[in-house]
Amino acid sequence: MAKIGVFICHCGENIGAKVDCTKLAAAMGEHPGVAVSVEYKYFCSDPGQESVKRAIRDNNLTGVVVAACSPRMHEATFRKACAEAGLNPYLCEIANIREQCSWVHTDNDQATEKAMDITRSMVEKVKRNNKLQPIEVPVTRRALVIGGGIAGIQAALDIANAGQDVVLVEREPSLGGHMAQLSETFPTLDCSQCIMTPRMVEAAQHPKIRLLTYAEIESVDGYIGNFSVRVRMKSRYVDINKCTGCGDCITKCPAKKISSEFDCGLGKRTAIYTPFAQSVPNIPVIDKANCIYFKNGKCKICSKTCQCDAIDFDMQDTFEDIEVGAIVVATGFQVQNNTMYGEYGYGKYPDVINGLQFERLASASGPTAGKILRPSDGVEPQTVVFIQCAGSRDPSKGVRYCSKICCMYTAKHAMLYAHKVHGGKTHIFYMDIRAAGKGYDEFSRRAIEEDEAAYLRGRVSKVWEENGKLMVRGVDTLLGRPVEIAADMVILATAIIAQPDAKEFAKTIGIGYDEYGFYNEAHLKLRPVESSTAGVFLAGACQSPKDIPDSVAQASATASKVLALFSKDMLEREPVVATNNEATCAGCWGCVLACPYNAIEQKDILDRSGRIIKRVASVNPGLCQGCGTCVTFCRSNSLDLAGFTERQIFAEVMGL
Amino acid sequence: MSIEEQYRTRAKELLSGGAVKMVIGYGKGSNAKRRRPIFISSADEVERLVLDDACITNLSGYLVSEGLLSDEKRVAVFLRPEGIRAINILAAESQLDAEQIVIFGFDVAGNEVTALKGINVEEFSDIIDSIKEGAPEAAEEELFEKIEKMSPQERFSFWQKEFAKCIKCYACRQACPMCYCRRCIVDSNQPQWVNTSSHTLGNFEWNIVRAFHLSGRCVECGNCDRACPVNIPLRLINHRMAEEVLGAFDHFAGTSKTQEPVLASFKKDDSETFIL
Ligand SMILES: Cc1cc2nc3c(=O)[nH]c(=O)nc-3n(C[C@H](O)[C@H](O)[C@H](O)COP(=O)(O)OP(=O)(O)OC[C@H]3O[C@@H](n4cnc5c(N)ncnc54)[C@H](O)[C@@H]3O)c2cc1C
Ligand code: SF4
Ligand code: SF4
Ligand code: SF4
Ligand code: SF4
Repeated sequence: MAKIGVFICHCGENIGAKVDCTKLAAAMGEHPGVAVSVEYKYFCSDPGQESVKRAIRDNNLTGVVVAACSPRMHEATFRKACAEAGLNPYLCEIANIREQCSWVHTDNDQATEKAMDITRSMVEKVKRNNKLQPIEVPVTRRALVIGGGIAGIQAALDIANAGQDVVLVEREPSLGGHMAQLSETFPTLDCSQCIMTPRMVEAAQHPKIRLLTYAEIESVDGYIGNFSVRVRMKSRYVDINKCTGCGDCITKCPAKKISSEFDCGLGKRTAIYTPFAQSVPNIPVIDKANCIYFKNGKCKICSKTCQCDAIDFDMQDTFEDIEVGAIVVATGFQVQNNTMYGEYGYGKYPDVINGLQFERLASASGPTAGKILRPSDGVEPQTVVFIQCAGSRDPSKGVRYCSKICCMYTAKHAMLYAHKVHGGKTHIFYMDIRAAGKGYDEFSRRAIEEDEAAYLRGRVSKVWEENGKLMVRGVDTLLGRPVEIAADMVILATAIIAQPDAKEFAKTIGIGYDEYGFYNEAHLKLRPVESSTAGVFLAGACQSPKDIPDSVAQASATASKVLALFSKDMLEREPVVATNNEATCAGCWGCVLACPYNAIEQKDILDRSGRIIKRVASVNPGLCQGCGTCVTFCRSNSLDLAGFTERQIFAEVMGL
Repeated sequence: MSIEEQYRTRAKELLSGGAVKMVIGYGKGSNAKRRRPIFISSADEVERLVLDDACITNLSGYLVSEGLLSDEKRVAVFLRPEGIRAINILAAESQLDAEQIVIFGFDVAGNEVTALKGINVEEFSDIIDSIKEGAPEAAEEELFEKIEKMSPQERFSFWQKEFAKCIKCYACRQACPMCYCRRCIVDSNQPQWVNTSSHTLGNFEWNIVRAFHLSGRCVECGNCDRACPVNIPLRLINHRMAEEVLGAFDHFAGTSKTQEPVLASFKKDDSETFIL
């Protein structure tokens, strides 16, 4: 005989103001199989949970229905309370009478009526619930960190310093990401390289970190605690074990005119190169597309120069399979290409540059050794104009969102310019100044008050060249009049966008992304560093535009999640998994294809002499995520989902 | 030599040489216009084979009879293009090994019977592609269009009237080569999603389930339609579903033996964000 307890929560006013909980409790008390039906102001509170536990013990309840908020909120809370009272937690269900009822209805009588339907249908389901035991799976204690920017480096170091193994995969020849390109950093103006390079070296030398640069993720299979990852090691054409990083080959390489990606096109590099002088590892790669030998079959000067015989033109990509238990995605961002704003002349006028290019000009290791010289003729610009939100907050041409860091780095650029070009004039067109953060507003005020940056609130409509000047026409909306400035250089604060391959890559690792390609967190407020896939975490600007402090904080947060995961030998998984009835399965194997987690295998049923009697589908409970896709697909109705069995769902529907 | 004779000769050769263990074809029926399936396993019997414009039943369903192919021996079968497509689907759904099937392909136009060249199912892919390109029309274009033009209410009452006749004999299911499940969902009674009694609700449930389970799989051979003792125009539903799947997913059932089932497969570049 079922003895179900029904616990109706007022959720303060949230439910109580719309649903007549007393009436609901009375009605449920009458329902067949219900032994207890009570109401209370906050069942999730300590006394509330205690009363549920007491009712279970006193009445020997066989099932519990808590009519309250969404199961996403408190299913775990009440299931835990039930377990503490000796009831199998999977015999507890939540009837959602808040989000699906009181919050969306205006009429009290109808809301009460609907709450009765919802609760009754859950009572009917619970009567058919089975006791379930959590599934235990082993954990591989090794983390994969994808992306060697500041976020990835921080996550790798934190995990490694706690004694766990890390594989750090970076697709470029060197660690560093964007931070390595920056000159000084807001809000303290400390030199980016000086705080970055020691981190890079520490990561490369850490005994617990295996660094794979110039490497890409080919595929990711498996599930939390047990991922298998295939990594492609792109051929560097330089043997990493023989090369000493002397750099002789780089000096001798005759292909010297290649535009440097690291310097954003403002500098040149050779075909055999390291992205920058402080690269980690300090081992060059050959850029096959621009190498004279690969193009014409003649040259090999680098190989003749190399005293270690490290150059190998026949090198091929190799693959390595790695088993890991957790993955941190730290693949960063890109800056938007501003050529879409034809009116700003980016790409047309060499002295219209973007913020990242300005970083390279201002950087001591950059193409001008830190002098602000305009790209066209190497002359020091006396008047500069910065245009903020060049792409951001522009739903028609750019992106709808705020890139978050441009207000700050533009203020920084104005300061660096003032410090380096004495007497230079700075104008900044802005929409709003968003300087929320520790020391941030003070920083931008400093640009205005001490370094005399002239902020103009308004947009720029056009930039054109006239008599060797860049003419900038815009509007000052505070004064309500148009302005025209004759500038020597224009700097666009370009929008921060997702990596161009972000969506593709998300599919490779199986995580969600938003319309822009930034990766989705499991819950924006409560689970901001977890992806929707268990065991995959997000750090840095791949999730949304971020500055360095936020990227680092998030990276350390992912490390703590990974370490928590690694703190146990076995992982407990929800037992909500599919099972197959082999007797009725027709072996069509449609479910094998339909399962998005590759959790279903083909299985032969053999007789004693080893002959195949029947071929069926078989669910691997370790891989199954309980999504139910297969259940809906199976025509012969052979698949069923524990915790949501057909019998339960049917009873739930009929209970309405 | 008529095609009937050619095929008898080929059947004789295959059977006497042991290349196939059985030939599934058409024999005389209860009257001049009816043909019934025959199963021949000795070369002496080939004279019983008939091939004319009355040979319309899709015989592919017999191939999945329990145990028939489990000895890995080959079986020959007379098939029209729809039947050949059915072989592809059955192979794609792991119900048979296409290597074991020797095809006696033919087609009927008016009362003209033509032979289709080929033995293995792959050899017919050009023919199948050309059918797909030709965008097959509904059996009764006029009635089909009339229903298309109806308002949802009118259409509902049209089908309500038709389904009211259904006696749940499941002849349509038995006749369909794609209805090979050992236990059909309608026979599952824990819980009983589909009402077994033949009242309007149960009849609707059954016919809608049937339509869904066959969308993207039905080859429009007409077996079900002909089998229905109360003449429900099942062909119209089948055709509508086939059109739907072709339009939405560019999926034409049975183009190859490795074709992925349309409702079980998804593409990684699918823009639907709910699929990870
Ligand atoms: C012009 C400009 C000025 C800035 N100034 C400041 C400042 O002054 N102060 C401040 O706090 N912040 C500043 N920032 C922001 C700062 O650059 C970012 O916060 C920081 O770089 C984010 O780090 P990250 O590791 O998340 O991403 P990234 O630095 O972009 O690193 C990502 C790394 O992942 C690698 N990667 C990408 N995809 C893959 C893949 N599929 N497989 C393997 N590896 C991959 C990339 O090659 C890269 O090395 C500035 C940004 C810009 C554009
Ligand atoms: S879909 Fe159903 S019938 Fe087909 S293999 Fe899977 S479980 Fe078996
Ligand atoms: S419920 Fe079915 S489709 Fe979903 S993960 Fe499990 S086996 Fe795969
Ligand atoms: S549903 Fe009917 S027409 Fe379609 S394949 Fe089955 S028997 Fe043939
Ligand atoms: S053959 Fe006709 S009567 Fe019989 S179950 Fe099918 S639709 Fe109903």
